[in-house]
Amino acid sequence: MLARRVHAIMAAGLENPELLARWQQKPDLLRAYGVDPAAFDLDAIRKFAGLSAKVKHNGLRSELPLTFHFLNVSGLEIEIFGAYALHKARAGTRYAPTTGERIVELVDFLRDWLDFGKREHSQLWDLIRHETALAQLQKLTPSSKKCRVPHIVGEIILHEMKSDPRVIGKLLREKSFDHERVPRCVTRLGYWNAGDPDEISIIDLDELGFNLLSLVDGKRSLTDFNRLLGRGISKKLNDAFAELASVGVISLGGPLPRSFN
Amino acid sequence: MKYITANSGTVAVGLAFGPVVPEFVTANPDLIDYVEIPFEQLRHAPETGVIQETVPVILHCASMSVAGFVPPDQRTLKAIERAAARTKTPWIGEHLAFITADPIEDDDAKPTSLTYTACPQMSEETVERVAINLASLQQHFDAPLILENSPQYFEVPGSSLSMADFVTAVVERCGVSLLLDLTHFLISMLNTKKDPLSEIERLPLEKVVEVHISGLNVQSGIAWDDHASPAPPVVFDLLERVVKRVRPKAVTLEYNWSPQFPESILIKHIDRVNEIMRC
Repeated sequence: MLARRVHAIMAAGLENPELLARWQQKPDLLRAYGVDPAAFDLDAIRKFAGLSAKVKHNGLRSELPLTFHFLNVSGLEIEIFGAYALHKARAGTRYAPTTGERIVELVDFLRDWLDFGKREHSQLWDLIRHETALAQLQKLTPSSKKCRVPHIVGEIILHEMKSDPRVIGKLLREKSFDHERVPRCVTRLGYWNAGDPDEISIIDLDELGFNLLSLVDGKRSLTDFNRLLGRGISKKLNDAFAELASVGVISLGGPLPRSFN
Repeated sequence: MKYITANSGTVAVGLAFGPVVPEFVTANPDLIDYVEIPFEQLRHAPETGVIQETVPVILHCASMSVAGFVPPDQRTLKAIERAAARTKTPWIGEHLAFITADPIEDDDAKPTSLTYTACPQMSEETVERVAINLASLQQHFDAPLILENSPQYFEVPGSSLSMADFVTAVVERCGVSLLLDLTHFLISMLNTKKDPLSEIERLPLEKVVEVHISGLNVQSGIAWDDHASPAPPVVFDLLERVVKRVRPKAVTLEYNWSPQFPESILIKHIDRVNEIMRC
């Protein structure tokens, strides 16, 4: 088989993994190029495209160090970046030019691609959202807002997880990592930048606090909340708002209305 | 600017340029003798060349497609020439690989350009092609081109030679010197189920000028190059084998993919290389 032809086919497949998928489905397409389809290990070439995609994302390591460490120790790097390269080829799009945009695109891809029934995939999803939230907030200097209704002080990103990414991070720093040692537990976290990007807080939230914060938009009034969530939980709502306000993560924008007391 | 001499008589130890290197060089000015910088990095981020004010530079390259059938364009060659002259590199390490290839659909289309070098078909045909390419490319540079063995991740169709035989055939045919990447070699041996410690003895080790060391990992059933992980002990065993037959002029640690690469491991591995060189 002519080296020149072999190189051309390998390069075409590496550059556009969509071709590899097509050739895998219809090997006869390769015969048209004068080569024997059985001689090409298309699956291995697809994985090699994954290595190449991974290397192109080395710039993300500074913001997602634990995620990359996790991918490595879990043996998921090649599989994920191989699938990502194929996804980008199918979409006909290039990798984004900036690190921030590449992170957003990778997270978007993983949201659809990961199988959350698999423990490692679920842990990866928790970890990458954890690090992405921290990275995003570290780049923001929120301006202070004056508002007459409940509003977030600074910026907050909320994530509900199936494990605690801080625990995954701690276990990853140990000599060997075992997925099974990561406890399964619903963890609701608020990543909060109160105004200083060098001081990002991570707040553990209960279900009510998490849902309340996800509804605080600087437009709904306390009365709107009471109406939305039902009068029966007024006291709980009051306590939750008061607690969030005492932490400083929200400002109520005014005194609690009488109906809350 | 600082420059390295090709024939200093001692084995120089250096690092491949990466995110941890500038800080490391500043903090440990006496631990390394040079930094190896890819031409492509100098081309796209010329400010990286500033490091040569602190430490000498050896030029590396992945653009010449030495084992390919589509030559690099003249602008690229001219840019490599300028980088080689500016850095006064003692040699230019280039991959025994291809990075461009013919288009498959339309002969008039642009060649396919990769961003990562690929192991070529290992055959007599490719050996001849390397000889033609090298003869043409070498005319552009005062510094000698040396060739780096590729990692072999899978069987390239039409290959009739093993990695050791292919590298040997290229050296015999072209008289070229080698940049022996021990991790690439180990990866190739793992993926083709050969014994690295015996196969390395089959290489023309007396032609080795520079050695590369990096990490690897095994994923999805294949061993892969990994410059974010430390080299496993067997890589240093391979270095010991090499040193029994040749004193390379330089040994480069390629830990350039991760900004978190631990300084303690860099220092440990530099010490390990120096220790092996003293034996």
